[in-house]
Amino acid sequence: MRRCIPFIAALLFVGSACAAEEAITLRSTELKAKPYSDAQTLLTLPERSKVQVLQRRASWTQVKSGQTSGWVKMLSLQLVRGTTQRRADNGLRSLFNVAQTGRGGSTVTTGVRGLSEEDLKHAKPNPQALEDAQEYAATKAEAKRFAMAGKLKAQQVDYLPGGER
Amino acid sequence: MRASILMLVLSLSVPAQAFDFGNFDLEKAVKTVQKIKKANEDVSEPQEIELGSGIASNLLGAAPLLDNPEVQRYVNRVGRWIALQTERPDIPWQFGVLDDPDINAFAAPGGYVFITKGLLARMNSEAELAGVLAHEISHVLRKHHLLALKKGARSELLSEFANEAIQSKGGDPRLSKLVSAGTEIYARGLDKQDEFESDRMGVVLAARAGYDPYGLPAVLQTLQSINPSDSNLALMFKTHPSFDKRLELLADEMTPALDEYEKQPVLEQRFTAAMSGGK
Repeated sequence: MRRCIPFIAALLFVGSACAAEEAITLRSTELKAKPYSDAQTLLTLPERSKVQVLQRRASWTQVKSGQTSGWVKMLSLQLVRGTTQRRADNGLRSLFNVAQTGRGGSTVTTGVRGLSEEDLKHAKPNPQALEDAQEYAATKAEAKRFAMAGKLKAQQVDYLPGGER
Repeated sequence: MRASILMLVLSLSVPAQAFDFGNFDLEKAVKTVQKIKKANEDVSEPQEIELGSGIASNLLGAAPLLDNPEVQRYVNRVGRWIALQTERPDIPWQFGVLDDPDINAFAAPGGYVFITKGLLARMNSEAELAGVLAHEISHVLRKHHLLALKKGARSELLSEFANEAIQSKGGDPRLSKLVSAGTEIYARGLDKQDEFESDRMGVVLAARAGYDPYGLPAVLQTLQSINPSDSNLALMFKTHPSFDKRLELLADEMTPALDEYEKQPVLEQRFTAAMSGGK
């Protein structure tokens, strides 16, 4: 809920959207007291339970089921369409002038049509834009400084074995 | 048996032009065999970069760059940092934000990665941006677009390019045809197994770069919740496997392998500050 507060301040009208976000459990899921695997299990939600989404933290999502709040693994949830205005509109859309989508799963009201198949099939080169883009490229040193400023530490992690092929 | 010996004797005794047996053209057959052989050869790294720059130039012809130097630099820093954690840290990686409301991201051979402002506007943190860029970076690492070209209708042009039969200087029309074919892949989509592979690699690259690896699935979950008839998702739906399937696979693959990295930074505030121009 804490994440909603600056949001309300910024957008004023978001309050109700924060409370309304809903999700369904995709599998039987333990509701934990804290966002950790070894935290106390408050209760076990059966598959297809409807919960209210409060906030996400890393791979955990805080939800409310009935009167009980707790944390479940993010990927054991599927968000219910049309209840996720806050998540799908982070406030940057107005900044970037991106059109709003229809609320509550209604017909889409996007006014501006984006990049289409036809645009890609008949695209003509724009070497000037590519040159412009090049100006923003980051050097290795710049990237490392940037990572350090964000306290990002490089890790050794192996690629995951393939799923179904 | 006797008949084939007779044929052999006959064929040896006739002049060379008689090798043109009706529709069968020996010279053509040899050329075809050579082309198939060439198709298996790989384009060199400089050729890959050259082809990619052509495709990137086309993409920028279809959608302009977002005129926001702060956002462009920020996205380049995130992307370049992730690219440093890969097996191809030294290719000229270049990232860009397209001024387009569509929800999509694109990679071109040789290290070009673009994301639309429509997708960027639906993200909530640097870890989410990192997840999406890492997915695109993985397409470049695995050369998925070159594989798609090789399998496509223009595979001959790709092999001619690999064999330097097509010169980039002098405006060979075959090169622009190849570049067009490369651009059209964005309208058709890659092999869906290549998409799953990039998801699987992308979450690992995000973890290597020190981010919470759940940024990519978080974005997919956000997109999953958007009304599927939203026209800004039409191309993404056409060219990618379903969000449901991608999330299902990631859920299986990431747990428990990446659990220990889930407390790595998400950098929500740095993302929001960069997006709003530091205001």
